[in-house]
Amino acid sequence: MSGLSGYRGPSAKILTEAGASIGDVLEVQTGGESVTGTLVPRYEHNDDSHIVIKLKNGYNVGISVEKVSKVVRVAKGEAPKFVTPEKVASKGLPRVSILGTGGTIASRVDYRTGAVSPATTAEELYSLFPELSGIASITPEIVLSVYSENLEPKHWETIAKRVSEVVAEGVSGIILTMGTDTMGYTAAALSFALRGLPVPLFIVGSQRSSDRPSSDAFLNLIGAATMAVQADFAGVYVVMHADSSDERLAVHLGTRVRKNHTSARDAFESMGVEPVGYWSRQGIQVTEREAPPPRGEAEGFAAMPNFDPRVALVKFYPSMPDGYLGAILGSGLRGVVFEGTGLGHINSKNIDQVKKFVNGGGVVCMTSQCLWGRVDMNVYDTGRDLLKAGVVPLEDMLPETALAKLMWALANCKSADETRAVMQENLAGEITPRSVQRR
Amino acid sequence: MERQARATILPFDPEASQLRVGLEIHQQLATSTKLFCPCPIVKSDELPLSFERRLRPTQSELGQIDPAAVFEFNKGRVNLYKWNPESACLVDADEEPPHPPNMEAIETAILMAQVLGSGVVDEVHVMRKLVIDGSNTSGFQRTAIIALGGALPVDGVSVGVQTITVEEDSSRVLKEGAQAREYALDRLGVPLIEIALDHVVGVPEHVEAVALSLGRSLRSTGRVARGQGTIRQDLNVSLLGGQVVEVKGVQKLNLIAKVVRYEATRQMGLVKIAEEVKKRGITEVECKAEDATAVMRGTSSPVLKRILQKGGVVTCIAVADFAGLLGLEPFPSIRLGKELAEIARTNGLGGVIHSDEFVKQGISEEESVALRAVTGYDSNAGLVLVAGESAERVETVAGLVVERLRKTPIGVLGETRAATDDGETRYQRPRPGAARMYPETDIPEIVVTEEWKRSLRMAMPVSWKEKVAAYSKRYSLSEEAALQLYDSDNSKLFEELAAKLRLEPSVIASILVETPVRLSREGVDESKVTPEALTSVLVAVDGGRFAKEAAVDVLRAIGKGDARDVDEAVSKLGLTGMSDEELGKIIDGVLKRNKPLIEEKGDRAFSVLMGEVMKLARGKVDGKKVSKLLRRGLDEGR
Ligand SMILES: [Zn+2]
Repeated sequence: MSGLSGYRGPSAKILTEAGASIGDVLEVQTGGESVTGTLVPRYEHNDDSHIVIKLKNGYNVGISVEKVSKVVRVAKGEAPKFVTPEKVASKGLPRVSILGTGGTIASRVDYRTGAVSPATTAEELYSLFPELSGIASITPEIVLSVYSENLEPKHWETIAKRVSEVVAEGVSGIILTMGTDTMGYTAAALSFALRGLPVPLFIVGSQRSSDRPSSDAFLNLIGAATMAVQADFAGVYVVMHADSSDERLAVHLGTRVRKNHTSARDAFESMGVEPVGYWSRQGIQVTEREAPPPRGEAEGFAAMPNFDPRVALVKFYPSMPDGYLGAILGSGLRGVVFEGTGLGHINSKNIDQVKKFVNGGGVVCMTSQCLWGRVDMNVYDTGRDLLKAGVVPLEDMLPETALAKLMWALANCKSADETRAVMQENLAGEITPRSVQRR
Repeated sequence: MERQARATILPFDPEASQLRVGLEIHQQLATSTKLFCPCPIVKSDELPLSFERRLRPTQSELGQIDPAAVFEFNKGRVNLYKWNPESACLVDADEEPPHPPNMEAIETAILMAQVLGSGVVDEVHVMRKLVIDGSNTSGFQRTAIIALGGALPVDGVSVGVQTITVEEDSSRVLKEGAQAREYALDRLGVPLIEIALDHVVGVPEHVEAVALSLGRSLRSTGRVARGQGTIRQDLNVSLLGGQVVEVKGVQKLNLIAKVVRYEATRQMGLVKIAEEVKKRGITEVECKAEDATAVMRGTSSPVLKRILQKGGVVTCIAVADFAGLLGLEPFPSIRLGKELAEIARTNGLGGVIHSDEFVKQGISEEESVALRAVTGYDSNAGLVLVAGESAERVETVAGLVVERLRKTPIGVLGETRAATDDGETRYQRPRPGAARMYPETDIPEIVVTEEWKRSLRMAMPVSWKEKVAAYSKRYSLSEEAALQLYDSDNSKLFEELAAKLRLEPSVIASILVETPVRLSREGVDESKVTPEALTSVLVAVDGGRFAKEAAVDVLRAIGKGDARDVDEAVSKLGLTGMSDEELGKIIDGVLKRNKPLIEEKGDRAFSVLMGEVMKLARGKVDGKKVSKLLRRGLDEGR
């Protein structure tokens, strides 16, 4: 790193005058005293009136620019010479592709400046996770570099296209690493775009940052890599910690998974169903639910990677202004997924607005904000009126899954009627006809 | 087998050895909540929840992994954390980002900086310091420098202050096993202030005096926690020109001199052993490890027999020209063999057996010859047996033992050791490389404004010396009693009671300070002699329920659990007061019985008579009152 990353205003001025760059050893004099250490970067949200020095003992301290009488550059900083790990031969092992999208599953800390950088090459990954070299022959690549919250349907398309190319090249399995925020949406989207995928695709991430020795990333990655080689099933899954311990991973079906905690390791849960299985160092344990699809032949597999982003997910709430709903319905959308109340309702006074949108060619689907349980619009008047208005009930489909599916269906169906039919068809486990799990 | 020997007093000449000791004091702060979460600071006896973690070593900037970290990871350790929601939360479990820091803790550190004349930094940056022994769930400890520089005056000399930091305490160790370690999360995250001093050169007692003085300065802020385990001292001990050994966790102040003395002697002993190695012309230590399980199959050594019966293995390490060196004791109980045994114990084995103790361990001459035959070494070689039930573990330990033996010519090795309760030090792990730290990005920087510092300067505590002098003056206590009171955990209670009770402050002070010490020496559980118990006893004495002399008996009964409270103790001990009439009868009786003595000795018989009356009154009455009445009786009798 060079330059004066993050410094601006008075602090940048005083450093520029001293000819200092990030990483240089400086002596900062304040009145009668002085502090010597390495100049470290400053974050953009910090003020412009302090200089941050990393002392020899490793600590950072901030010095007010107002007090600084002189800055002397003692030595030029030398970028750390990272010793590239030796190439580890894992020839003869099955090939596993690791596709990176932006979340850092593995990172290296530059303790000189505090910068955290992602590990991107196979050698780096092997050096961070020596076990990997005994599991598979890894080919990592960066497909995207986008924060999870910034991912859009066009990114799902990029990922789906790259996955189908990798499948054609011949791999035992695929690992997709990403930030966890929208992992559930991506998992659902890929479940539809990659229907019939002949190999398993495991989406992994870390809830606790990968720079920390306690990160969940390590086990998630090792588990996913092992399954990419050993699992006898195919399809799209999210693989994350089953609980707080570094012991067991849960394998969630891509269409039934939801992030239910902001920060904990076991944030991801299967909703309405059991996870497909669990992984531990002892092996894979498939649960007694509908068997996941077996592996298939790469030949003949074709992705359907297109999505139409003109869909809204609308959570209905008491006192939702008519104008708000009207604005959404009138914004040029082709579809709306409602997260309705209870069995699948919205305020009855809004039914006419919905009817108008449907009559104009739009597709409106209903899921429940209860998340657990199934919509049933035949029980109450409002439900029946909504059905009459053309709203499609989506059984126990998760709202986020419904959003991704409607985007995909609109991009791949020829008409609104066909789209409505596809939405009600169980394509990737997104609808479970029988309710077995209570919660 | 080499096992931990009892502590002995060692001969030691600090002048000749040029002992240097750097002191780091870790003091718990008396905040109501933890440093980075709102958990209350309480010790949980029940820990119903748990989870397991494995901490991974992380790479340095050069792509290398810290030796201490590798050491831990190679042990394949799983850390089991137990917790109770009353004293820990998801932050402590590393399942939630830290909350903004407890500002009370930061303020205490700024106050302390002002006491020691340290320069407070303008902007505080919280760092993550990698610690992967498992004591922190995250794998790092959050810590921040608050101030740099300053000086602590001790006996007319000024000891330089290096840094004042605020940091989170580690988890409480419940169990330390070879494969798993158990921790409790109640202590994790409790705010500590750490003060690191420049090293001092001199005698161990001086180091103790420095620690005592620093402890008193900390207490002068009135913001630090009191009681057992709230203060820990780390010592960096070295001899002139030698490597630095880090001794962790000296919990009692009065153990510091003993620990320093032991560690310095151990280091001098290792230097002497290294000199002996050189004298023998050994520049490179030649070692060879061979499997000796078959050879020892029929052994009569009880330790090995037990291991072999359970299907264990024995590895024999031969060290060329080391015969006699493993058991050599340049100072009492300082031996190379003991160092090796400590390494074995830290790694889950019971110890090692070396050739200088074969006879003692029941290993026959024939076995010794057979072992030499297996390794191909002659009788000049030293032999070290590493045995255990797990072959993998034995192999790991044998590797570490060989590594240690090869370093014998160096003398003292830089390592981390733990202080033991009896004032020795015990091997823990290799010394970590330079502390690896990077910013804690989840916590924003804290700007320390001039205004904030000014307002804290107003709250600057009175120095402990002034406080002690004021005590002594205000309560007419001797200076020693005043200092004892200040050092004790009960100074606040004293102030309250002195204001409330009619008792002489010196009486209150002596019961508050001396009784707990005396009872603890007798083996009574200190924690049972609570401030509440002390208060109720003093109130009872004040009300004339029993004599001050009986206070210790009452507290003993409570401390031992013989009585639940003062009332029960009083009735069990038969202390139900005594009327003046009853006392008069006793005095009359004593006077009558001792008539010849009184006639012979006159006033000089007083103390004998006094003793006799007190014995008969069995602590039911105050000595002063007895003295008054006895004097009257004596005068009247004449
Ligand atoms: Zn907490």
